[in-house]
Amino acid sequence: MTAAPEPTTPAPVVDVQSLWVSFGSVDAVRGIDLQVAPGAATALLGRNGAGKSTTMRVLAGVIPPSQGRVHVAGRDIRREALAVKRVTGYCPDVGGLVPRATPWEHLQLAARLRRLPVGWEERARDLLERFDLGGVAHRVTGGFSHGMGRRMSVILAAFHQPRVVLLDEPFDGVDPLGVEATLDVIADARAHGSAVLVSTHLRELAVQACQHAIVLRGGSAVAELSAAEIGGEEGAGVYRALLD
Amino acid sequence: MSADARQVTPRRERRPIRWLDVKKGSVRVSTATKEGARSARDVRHLLRFRVSGLRGRARRAAPIAVAVLLAVTLLVSVVPALVPEYRIARTDVLILLPTAYISVLVISITSAAANGGGRELLPREQAVAFPVSPTTDHLGALLMAPLNIAWLLQAWSIIGMTAYGVGPTWRLPLALLPVYLWLFTGTALAQTIAWVVEYVRRGRSGSHVVRLAALLVGGTIAVLIATHQMTNVLDDSPTLRVLLAVIAGASGNWYVWEILLVWLFGIAVVAVVVGAWMAGQVSRRPARDELKVETSRHAARPHPGSDFVALLRTDRAGIWRSVPMRRGMVVLAVFPGLIALGGHFGWDRLAIFPGLVASGGVLLFGVNSWCLDGRGALWRDSLPVSARLAFASRVTVLMEILLASTLLTLVVAGLGAGLPTRSQLAAIACASVVVCLQVVATSLRWSVRSPYSVDLRSSRATPAPPLVMVGYSWRLALSTTFTGLMFGAASVAVWPVSFVLAVPFLVWSGVKLWRTSIRWADPVERSRVIATVAS
Repeated sequence: MTAAPEPTTPAPVVDVQSLWVSFGSVDAVRGIDLQVAPGAATALLGRNGAGKSTTMRVLAGVIPPSQGRVHVAGRDIRREALAVKRVTGYCPDVGGLVPRATPWEHLQLAARLRRLPVGWEERARDLLERFDLGGVAHRVTGGFSHGMGRRMSVILAAFHQPRVVLLDEPFDGVDPLGVEATLDVIADARAHGSAVLVSTHLRELAVQACQHAIVLRGGSAVAELSAAEIGGEEGAGVYRALLD
Repeated sequence: MSADARQVTPRRERRPIRWLDVKKGSVRVSTATKEGARSARDVRHLLRFRVSGLRGRARRAAPIAVAVLLAVTLLVSVVPALVPEYRIARTDVLILLPTAYISVLVISITSAAANGGGRELLPREQAVAFPVSPTTDHLGALLMAPLNIAWLLQAWSIIGMTAYGVGPTWRLPLALLPVYLWLFTGTALAQTIAWVVEYVRRGRSGSHVVRLAALLVGGTIAVLIATHQMTNVLDDSPTLRVLLAVIAGASGNWYVWEILLVWLFGIAVVAVVVGAWMAGQVSRRPARDELKVETSRHAARPHPGSDFVALLRTDRAGIWRSVPMRRGMVVLAVFPGLIALGGHFGWDRLAIFPGLVASGGVLLFGVNSWCLDGRGALWRDSLPVSARLAFASRVTVLMEILLASTLLTLVVAGLGAGLPTRSQLAAIACASVVVCLQVVATSLRWSVRSPYSVDLRSSRATPAPPLVMVGYSWRLALSTTFTGLMFGAASVAVWPVSFVLAVPFLVWSGVKLWRTSIRWADPVERSRVIATVAS
């Protein structure tokens, strides 16, 4: 009798080992390890200054790592930053929009630089409608509210269906309909096989959107939990204890 | 509402607003005066806050810069008086002074009105967290007004001219006192006029009214120049009284000197008070043109044909859809041209104008050019495109806007200069290209070396802190004036000389740009710039 083959775990799309990021004498990130498999969503939780946004920026190729190994879709971010940018979609924690360009112009720029095939416009329009931004697609983003800006940033991170979706504070200041649309985008991305990383302060939404959560404190990962472990009232207590 | 409710509701107290509330046997300082004093104290606090925000090189350079400004002011107050009267008679200089005094007023009005009411002591985005009153804003704008290279050069010119006109006498400091006071009075008057302009601009169809008024003023000046009446008008200038005070001080006629000083001081006080009131009026009106731009719609254009075109489009939108930049470029393109036209400048003297326009243009945004992306810089940098291509796009957009403005200035100025010779045409063309590339190379180096987080949506915003801007403008003015003078000299030689002269300048600027692009392509350097401008 032959043994049944063991189910193989897919190789992680995001593979971070011992990541350090220093700004002068300040260590913003201190030896974080992180793996996200295709089709999985992981939340980065923690207080202000825990290193969540810096980690996201490194994965987006905006900040180079000071030390450690960062591979995205099998590519070393230090040596192949441009290739990594091609397979990621990034919603930054602040702003994220060029103030005097319209949403459609943002999409055109991204589509051009990402070499999207003809027909991307349909998906872009669909996302704009889902996020209730269809009516302002040709208005400059400088006059957008904070929530509108967040919603547009999520669209820009996801509309090209990248292998890795990086959402930094996507729910911040967003209305319930926008939150719903963002949760849908995360679910769609997962269904499409993308790895999703969500950085947020909102534990309950993180639990809804992701299966795993990594709690950061002072630039280090202090716990890796499943959504079940960190959800509900009991999970709130666990999370609260990890923050101090 | 029931009768009981009416009884318990306190009636709103109505009191006439007065500057002083006079009581029996005593004078109590009124609320308005208290507010004024409080605003003056707030200016001190805000200034301290601004200074405390300076870091690194800027913190070390700030006291040096202030000391240099004061030292230069002292030097121009003394040295010209010691220069022996040689080719230019002291009396001839004195005759020109009333007109020269007006120039301070003109420059201050133009600068403050173009900036939507003058510079801010604290950027609008930061100021929202503090109870900054319109009076504080007004006093801050007054304090910031001299931190402008055009104002400084003009102020030093009139101080130096006056010192030369007065000559070496122990009464020189007293004779110069009315000029110092006039600098304050003229600036305060200009600031008040700028608030009036801004008030009108914020009204319904205000932009059109202001443009029409500017055209009328320009047209009147043009008519006066064409009919040779300008000199007569300037001879009757009210600034003649400043000159009378200078002469009274130099000759020891203390009664006249004192009267005129009090007169000047009185005007200054009235201007400051009226300006504060106008600033309050302006603050109650929305900035319509800024809001219009922020809610403007732009029809979708065909998809860009290349990565470079895509980047270029975004960069162009950042400039042409910004109120301060559009307004600044128009002023810079037209104003120097009109001055040259009015002064009947020949083509040989026009060679310094491209430098003037290019320096001014790049000071609007180019010295901190990555701030055009604002908080979108993080997202833009996450796009899969070569950093060098993004750099090339920024160079191109800066070059095209500076060259276009320079061309417009030269066209306006050239209307009164006749047809240029081949040598003059070659010199002016080479000077234009050389200085534009020169300032682009310099400004992009500064942009990478010292980025600042600035919200350029406000028409009062500057791309760097005011003192830093003075340093930048001073260095640009020196280098571009030198280049302009070189090409001015080349315009009298055969035309190939200008092209030969242009080569080393272009190579040097090209090398500077190349080095900056390498620095920009470095991920560590770029992330520092991006994180700063997007913060």
